[in-house]
Amino acid sequence: MKYLIIGASSGLGQELAKKFAQNNHDLVIVSRDSRDLNAIKTDLEIKHKVKIDILDFDFSSIDEINSTLFSEQNLLTDLDGVLFPIGMMFDKDNLSLNANDIKKLISANFISIVHTIQKLKKNFIGKKNPCIIGFGSVSGFVGREINTTYAAAKRALESYFESMAFDKDVQKINIQFYILGYLETNLSFGKDLKMPKASVKKLSDIVYKNKNIKFKKTYYPRYWMLVYLIIKLIPFSILRKLNIN
Amino acid sequence: MIKKHTEEKNLTSFDRSFSSNIFFSEPDKYKLLEEVSHSSDKIINLGTNLSYSPLGFFKNSLSINIKNFNRILKFDKIKKTITVEAGLTLIELLNFTLKHNLWIPQIPGYPTISIGGAIAVNAHGKSCAVHGTIRNSIKNIFLFHKIHGWLNLSENENKEIFDLSIGGLGLTGTIVSVTFNLTNIESTNFITQKKKVNSIKESKKFILEDSKDLAYIYTWNRADNLKSFGKGLVYKNVSDKTSNVFKNFKKIKNKFRPFVFPLWNRYTLNIINSLYLKINQLSKTEQRDNFLNVIFPFYGRESYFNFFGKKGFIESQLLIHEKNFDSFIDEFKSLFKKYEPTITLLSLKNMSGKQKFLRFEDDKICLTFDYINNKKNMIFMSKIDSLYPKYEILPSIIKDSRISKETFRDSYKKEFIQFKDKLISFDKKRVYQSEISNRLEI
Repeated sequence: MKYLIIGASSGLGQELAKKFAQNNHDLVIVSRDSRDLNAIKTDLEIKHKVKIDILDFDFSSIDEINSTLFSEQNLLTDLDGVLFPIGMMFDKDNLSLNANDIKKLISANFISIVHTIQKLKKNFIGKKNPCIIGFGSVSGFVGREINTTYAAAKRALESYFESMAFDKDVQKINIQFYILGYLETNLSFGKDLKMPKASVKKLSDIVYKNKNIKFKKTYYPRYWMLVYLIIKLIPFSILRKLNIN
Repeated sequence: MIKKHTEEKNLTSFDRSFSSNIFFSEPDKYKLLEEVSHSSDKIINLGTNLSYSPLGFFKNSLSINIKNFNRILKFDKIKKTITVEAGLTLIELLNFTLKHNLWIPQIPGYPTISIGGAIAVNAHGKSCAVHGTIRNSIKNIFLFHKIHGWLNLSENENKEIFDLSIGGLGLTGTIVSVTFNLTNIESTNFITQKKKVNSIKESKKFILEDSKDLAYIYTWNRADNLKSFGKGLVYKNVSDKTSNVFKNFKKIKNKFRPFVFPLWNRYTLNIINSLYLKINQLSKTEQRDNFLNVIFPFYGRESYFNFFGKKGFIESQLLIHEKNFDSFIDEFKSLFKKYEPTITLLSLKNMSGKQKFLRFEDDKICLTFDYINNKKNMIFMSKIDSLYPKYEILPSIIKDSRISKETFRDSYKKEFIQFKDKLISFDKKRVYQSEISNRLEI
């Protein structure tokens, strides 16, 4: 079986690549820097005797997706699933972010994912257990002062994955969506966070185990579900005063 | 200093003699390694921070840990070469190569030491009499330097920097990957033989005679009191060719957590060492031993270090020529009588190689002493330091964190000058500096 992993050069993406390769799955891995991709490719091919193809391009650009990913149709024809452990963030992502950067963030975290899913869906027809796996963020729970556009894009993505559950065409595909809290990755390194960081290795084990479930939307770590419920119960006017961001 | 992808923390050397507040980064991408390196004026490379002396940090500098660069980049079983990233640990490397009956024999004493760290200190293992130091297994190094960028280093390319980087304490840049020439290993099981000895000089005789044809021969000697000084055991590890079933080693974590109060003192040492010697004398003189026990003697015996407590210890490792050995030991014992130091461990092994630059390597006997970190021992050690020129002794600056600039210079002489001159000509700004390099003015 073969899977496409978008954003596989580090953190959760790399850990997922390891997990799928350990289970003898071939992979197509995508990221911007071929140096990281080549290192992952050789490591996994040598250790697990699987075939890893790499594609290096900027996933925030629809043009690059079309000219690179979808020009390599031979890599995509026998795909059994696609995973999107991708998250683009900018330091200055607040209410004053310029239009170009907003466009880039919305593209990488939402539009490019949606575009890729729409174009890939046909590849999954007739497959035994195809899957599309997306990753949201707890930052999308409520509006915020920092990572404003990122959070908005992640909330939009969550809604899109929920919509796929209602779509008749997609109903034969296993859809999973993970709303992620803080993870032990470089995105959270050195940051003073209010909650503990969770293991990406454990998450990759869970994602792999769940890949054949029809539809699943879950929180990781699970206690974020409780946080979500509490936030939803608190009136917005109080949340504003608490300024939980 | 750009704070992105860095955190502030306090690091302590393994022997617990130095602590500093530093900036710390763990890049996980090639581009991020470049970015964090460019964000700081002063940088040093940190492996798993198991160096006895503070080689991996410097006050207010950026310590880069490349533990996320831990992948196998190339493996050629026929040519017996492997290219790995430098954040890979020894145990991870061995878990792969031993499956193919291959390894590098110059393995330092703890499984979680990183490949990059082992190269930066030109590490050696128990078999250094036959296999020398890790330098002998290195074919190629891929290095990142903040000013010079990415460099391929080998005997044929940037030879001078290649030479400076092996045992160069991480001062030439960040070692990102390395190609090793691998060696066949007949078996991952050993037979350990032990023999009782009554003196250091007797121990020396055994290690010099037997290391001609035996890879693994080393001693454990008492040094906790003058009366028993030198009594101990000579160990020989012989490959057990009757069985060679290799099973992957489990993931290993560091278990170094020093006790609040030290448990080592003159009395506990006397009891423990007497018991240890007695038990070993009563047990079989030959027994089967596993790979981890033989190659990583302190793995599973971390309590030895934890018993030193929060104040830690000082390890002194010395290279001395055979001809000067007996006279040095006589003078050592006479100073011992006068100053009564508390020494927890004394060990001997033979070493082969050629001393160059800052490398702890030569065709000499390697003597190791562990001291409790206290004032009395410091005075004793300074007296021993003064004997180095007389007996042409080379002390290890990787092990002994207390060594003075003067002692270091008197011992390393022109090799130090040459290293420093070449390093400055390569990197005029001296970007990569550690606590040790700063104190010794390297």
